[in-house]
Order: sequence, then structure tokens, then C-alpha cells
Amino acid sequence: MIRLEELHQSYGGRLALAPLSLEVAAGEVVALVGPNGAGKSTTLRALAGLIHPTGGRAWIGGHDVVADGVAARRETGYLSQRLGMPLATRVGDLAALVAELREVPPAGALEALDHAGLGDRLGATLGELSGGERQRVMLALATLGPVTALLLDEPSISLDAEGSEEVRLAIRTARERGTAVLFASHHLHDVALLADRIVVMVQGRVIAQGTLAELAAAAGVPCDAATAEPPIERIYRTLVTRGREAPGRRLALVRGDAA
Amino acid sequence: MRQLLSLFRFELSAARRGRTVPLVAAGFALASGAVALIGLTAGGVVAVQGFARTSVSLLQLALWVVPMLALLTGAVAGAECHELELVAALPVRRRKVVLARWLAWTVALGAALLIGFGVAGAAIGLLAGTADGWRYLRLIGVTGLVLAASLALGLWIGVVARTRLKAVGMAVAVWFVLVIGVDLLAIGLLALLPPGRAAWWLSLLLMADPVDSARALGLGLFHADVVAGPTGAALRRVLSGAGAWALAAALVAWTVVPLGFAGRRLDRSDL
Repeated sequence: MIRLEELHQSYGGRLALAPLSLEVAAGEVVALVGPNGAGKSTTLRALAGLIHPTGGRAWIGGHDVVADGVAARRETGYLSQRLGMPLATRVGDLAALVAELREVPPAGALEALDHAGLGDRLGATLGELSGGERQRVMLALATLGPVTALLLDEPSISLDAEGSEEVRLAIRTARERGTAVLFASHHLHDVALLADRIVVMVQGRVIAQGTLAELAAAAGVPCDAATAEPPIERIYRTLVTRGREAPGRRLALVRGDAA
Repeated sequence: MRQLLSLFRFELSAARRGRTVPLVAAGFALASGAVALIGLTAGGVVAVQGFARTSVSLLQLALWVVPMLALLTGAVAGAECHELELVAALPVRRRKVVLARWLAWTVALGAALLIGFGVAGAAIGLLAGTADGWRYLRLIGVTGLVLAASLALGLWIGVVARTRLKAVGMAVAVWFVLVIGVDLLAIGLLALLPPGRAAWWLSLLLMADPVDSARALGLGLFHADVVAGPTGAALRRVLSGAGAWALAAALVAWTVVPLGFAGRRLDRSDL
């Protein structure tokens, strides 16, 4: 389970993330959406222990991500929007390292890479892989081991249709295993397909959160279960525009809002 | 400990695959061979020098080249620590990453130096005899100490600088201070302070600079400390027999302290 309590982040007086409270239950998939600079990556990076929050607290599997960071990260799989390793890193070396630090048998890492269709690229460096292949390596390693929380920052970035389908499958598999999944994405189609709950952020603030239907109601966009293609882009545009026009106002805080 | 070993293996594999290690090995083999061969040419003789002369000449060369090489390597490795998001998101403390990087580069560059000095040493032994070979071994030991200290200092610089370019710039500036700046300061102190007080200040200054510590230690170990300059002479007077141990301890401290600071800084940094 992932829990944030008034987590916030500033950089030299500039607010990157306003106090955010959120819970993602085991087996639940929550999506963070919003324009660039909305605070999505900041939220995920704070949870992954990459940045030190200015204030507030967060827990993963009951472990405080700051005070008990190593224990929290033992339960966390994280996929960065950046590559996060030098291009000269060999895939096989990286897989062995992740397996050892996650205390997973090396065969587990090889199996995960094999499953991602990259079992024959162990000798290649990350720089020798295509963008899509790199992303698949990173996703395979992020989901390695008994993680109870999965944090994915733009998981479908630089992936083709087949790769995007693999990401969707990975998220669904994680949900079935009871993993709490929090992901940030600009791919609204994926968000509509995968997320149990959507958090809309603008300029570091949460302006709305709820199910797709609840957000549609808040945005005044007709949406019913029978709709083949949910009008998520229209809902998103409406909410983001309103959020920008009325800074400080929360539009739809339907569920899971502790503030 | 298991995590440190895993990280060390990973870092060593990366260090071995680059071009730095073979280049350093070849460079030191050539330099050592050249110093042994051309040392006597000024006297009109083309012959290979023995270990005694070669060691003293090579120490001066090593104390210019090794700190530069290690500071630059450490600085780049330190700056790269900020790019290791994937590792930082794993259940491991970041200070272990710094320690593993230092260990891996110390082993990799140390092996390269050993190969370089070893090849030249074998040639000297064959052509000029093995007399005074212990001096050559001590040269390798002192070079290893200054390598470890400079790498640690470079890593700290890199972690603080965050970017490669800034780290390299800072490393070059620090190298200049360590190799030339402190000696200039020593000369200034000698001119300004009365002889009795200058000895203490110069001894402190000697230990405040790992390169000067290594130079004085090396020359002392070769029994050639008469040429260690004003700082070496001062140290001999102040510390007498304990001088070598104090210098070795200073070099160890120059390794441990920067590593500690680098680990702490990285732990507290936002990536």
C-alpha cells in the first residue's frame, strides 16, 4: 500500500508539489495526469526516495520513505522517466545487480528479460538498445521481485503499440498480484483503460481525483459505461483548463482525499 | 557487505570495459621503461638504470600523473552517481554506491599501475639487475596510497559538483593546488616565519596535502629524504622516526574522510 500525507516539495521557494494526501490500496491502480510541471514526477520521485520531500510524510508497505528508506524501497518497483543509468551499462550486469540487491535469484532477472523479449541482449549496452528496448529492460527490472508498490513514470514513453500493450499487461498483472500501482502518464487512453482512480494535477496541485465517471461528472462531460471510447481527453482538457483558471480551487475531490 | 560486493562487481565490470585501464597500464609501462633507459643518456651512456635511480625519478613522475588521473576519474565517477536513479531506487544506501565506485576504480587503476610498473620492473631487473628492487616495490606502494587518496578526493568533488564538466574543472583546480599551490605556500611560509615555528607549520602543511605526504613518504622510504625539499626536512626534524607513519596515516585519512563526506553528501542529495 502507498500512503502520502501532506507530502510537499519546494525548490528554492518554488512550489513543485503542494501538500498532497493520497492512498493507493493493494491491488489498486491510480493514475497521475496533468500537463508538464504538474508535480507528477516529483510525487513519484519522492516516493522512490530519489528526492527528499520538503515536508509531509509518505509510506510504502508501512515503511516511511525517508526515515526507513531502504525498507520502503525493498517493497517498491520504480520506473524512471529518465534512463537512470549510464549508456555504457551492460544489460546483463544491470540485471545481475538488480537481482542481487533485490535478493532475487539471478535466474529470475534473466527470466524477466527473456519474457520482455530481450534475453538475447544481455551482452549489449543500454546505448546499443533502441529506446523501446531500453524501456522494456527497465520495466522488466522494475517489476522484479516481490514488490508491493509499483511506481511508473511515463511507462509507455518511446514505446510502439506492441510495447505499450506490454506495459498495460505488466500493470494488469501487478494489480492481479495485489500490488499498489501509481503511474504518471500523458497517454490518456492508457489511463482510461487501466486506472481505477485518476488524480488530475496542475502546477503542483491536485485539482480533481476520482474514477473516470466521477471526473466526467465533475467536468460536465457525458460518459457512461457503455461508451466504447471514454471521452477522457475532453474530461482532461476541461478539468485542466478550469484548474488553471481557478488556482487554489479543487474541482472534484471524490474519493481518497484526506485534505 | 553482500550489497557492497554486488555493487563492487558491477562497478568493476564497468571500469574494466572502458579504455582507461589499458591506456594507464601501457602509459606507465612506457614511462617507467623510458625513465629507466634515458636517465643516463645525459652522461653519454645509453644503458638501463637500476631500481634505485629509476624509483626516485619515477616517484616525481607518478606524483604528477597519478593524482591528476585519479582526481579526474574520481570526479567523473562522483558526478555520475547523480545519474544512477535506478540504483538509488533500489534497497541500498547511496553511500555504498560511492564506496563501491571507489573500491572498483582503486582496484582497476591499481591493477593498471601494477601491470605498467611490473612490465618495466621486469625489464629493469633483467637488464640492470635486481639490486635495490625493494625501492621499486615501495614506489608502487606509495603510488597506490596516493591513487586511493586522490580517487576518494575526486569522488567527493564529483558528488559535490553534480555535473561532469564542473567536476572536471574543480578536479583540475584541486590538482593544481595539491601539486604546485601547497609548495608555493610552503616557500612563502619559510620566508615569513622564524625557523623554529616554520618547521611545525610546514609539517602540518605536508600532511594537509596528500601529494606532498606521498612525496615525503616515498623519498623517506627510499632513504632519499634529503631531496624532499623544505617540507620533508621540516618533517624529519619535527617527527623524527614517526614521520613515515604520520605520513601514511595522513594518506589514509585523505582517503577515508573524503569518502565519508562524499557518501553523506550523496545520501542527502536530491537526484
